[in-house]
Amino acid sequence: MNYKKILLIGFCIASLTSCVAVREYEKVNLNDPDMKLSANSIERFETNFQIYREAASGANGGKTGGGCGCN
Amino acid sequence: MKYIFSYTLLLLLSCSALYAQETPQDSLATYKKRVLETTEVDFLMSYYTQDGTHAAVTGGKGTEELTDITPTFVVAIPLNDDDVLTIDAGISAYTSASSSNIDPFDGDKPADPFVASSGASQSDVWANMNINYSHSSDDRNDVWAAHVNVASEYDYFSVGFGGSYTKLFNEKNTEIGVKANIFLDTWNPQYPIEFRDGFSRPDIVGTGAYANSFEKFANEGRNTYSLSLSFSQILSKNAQASIFLDLVKQDGLLSTPHQRVYFSDVADFFVQNFQLGDDVERLPNTRFKVPIGGRFNYYINESISLRTYYRYYFDDWGINSHTASIEVPIKFAEGKFTLYPTYRYYTQTAADYFAPFEAHVSTSEFYTSDYDLSKFDSHQYGAGFKYYDVFAKLKIFKFGLKTVDLRYNYYSRSDGLSANIISAGFKFVMD
Repeated sequence: MNYKKILLIGFCIASLTSCVAVREYEKVNLNDPDMKLSANSIERFETNFQIYREAASGANGGKTGGGCGCN
Repeated sequence: MKYIFSYTLLLLLSCSALYAQETPQDSLATYKKRVLETTEVDFLMSYYTQDGTHAAVTGGKGTEELTDITPTFVVAIPLNDDDVLTIDAGISAYTSASSSNIDPFDGDKPADPFVASSGASQSDVWANMNINYSHSSDDRNDVWAAHVNVASEYDYFSVGFGGSYTKLFNEKNTEIGVKANIFLDTWNPQYPIEFRDGFSRPDIVGTGAYANSFEKFANEGRNTYSLSLSFSQILSKNAQASIFLDLVKQDGLLSTPHQRVYFSDVADFFVQNFQLGDDVERLPNTRFKVPIGGRFNYYINESISLRTYYRYYFDDWGINSHTASIEVPIKFAEGKFTLYPTYRYYTQTAADYFAPFEAHVSTSEFYTSDYDLSKFDSHQYGAGFKYYDVFAKLKIFKFGLKTVDLRYNYYSRSDGLSANIISAGFKFVMD
C-alpha cells in the first residue's frame, strides 16, 4: 500500500474530529455495552487461535506476535 | 504537480478543520466519578478442537488434531478514585496429535504422521499472567497505563512489558491512543527426534545411510517490539468508529524448531510409516508486520446494533491479508438477553518461503511447510448468547453475577483445517 495514501487517509480521518460533538447526556445509545469499540472479553480465545492458525495478527487488541511461539 | 497541489490543499483543510470548532471548557465538577466503582471478577473459559491434514510438525502432511481447554481469571481492583489494578491469569491445557509426532516412536502404535503418538510430547500446559496498572486524570481525559506479562510452556518462555497513553478531547467525542510493547522471549527447542544427538534405529528403510542437513539454532531468543496507534471518533448519536495501526518488528529465532521440512532432491528414509525429516523449517531472523484495522458500530434501535471490523495486513515475508467480520446483537426482554450471530471472513497470500510437503530443495536458504503461512481463505460462523443483569441480583458470597456470556464458533479453512470453539464468560461485581 502507498504510504502517502495512508498518511492522507489518516489526516482526513483526523479532520472528522471537527464534525460532531455529542454531549454527554446524548450518549445513551453510544454507551450501550454492544457499542464499545473493542472486542468483547470472551472473544480473546478466538483471537488467540486465529493468531496461531493465520499469518496476520494485531490491530484488534490481541497479541501482535510476542508472548507465544506463534506466527 | 496538479496532484501535489490537490493533496496539499486537502491536507491544509483537514488541519484547519481540527481547530475550527470551539469546544467549551470542561468544568471541574466537585464530584469525581470513580473510574471503577467496585472490584470486578471475570471467569472465562474455552474449549477448542481442530482437525486437518497438513501438520507442520510432519512437514505439511499429517494429522492436525488438537484439543485445548483454557480457563482464565481477570480481576480488576479499584485502588482509589483514579487508579485500577488488573490481574489476568490463565492456563491452556492442550493435547495435540501433531506435537506428539515430534517423537513419533515413543508411543505404543506404529509411527505414522496421521496417527498421534501416545508419548510425553502429546500434551502440555501454557500458563500466563498479565498485571496492568492504569491511572486516569481528574477530568478523565488522560489515561496512562503500564503492564508486565509472563508466559511459560515446556518449549517457550516469555517476559513482556509495555505502556500506553490515551487522550480524550472534544467533549470525549475523540480519543487517540499510543501503546508500546516489548516481548523478550526464549525458545527451549524440542527438535524432532531424528535430529537429536544419539538417534539411531535398526529399522530405518531407504537407499543408503540416513543423513540430514540439520544444525541446531545458535540463537534461541525471540524478541518482539510493537508500537500501536489508535483513533476513535463519535460520528453521531448512534454511530462511532475507530482505526488501529500497529508497527511490529520481530527478531531472533522466528522459525518453529520442531516443524520438519522434506526436500525433493534428497533421498527418503522411513521408520514404519513415518518419513524421517531432512531439516526443520528455516525462516529469516527478522520480520516487520503492519496491520491496519478499523471498527464501525451503529445503534439501529433499542433492539438491534451493528458491529463491524476490517483489517488489512502486510509484512516483509510476502504475506498480505484481509479480515472482515460482522456481528449483530439482538436484544430482547428489555435488554436482559442478547442473541448475536457473527460471521468472519479471512484471506491471505502465502509467505515467500512456503512450499507444500517435499516441494522444497535443499539449496534454498529459507523454507517452511507450515500451512499457517500458506495461501488460504477461511470462514468463521458463530452465535453468542448473553444474559445481563444490571443490578447483579444473583449473589455468590459478596459477589453479584452481572453477565453470563456463551459463544460458539465454527472455523473452516480452504486447505481442509476446521475447528470448533465454545467459550463462556461470567462477570461478577463485588458489593
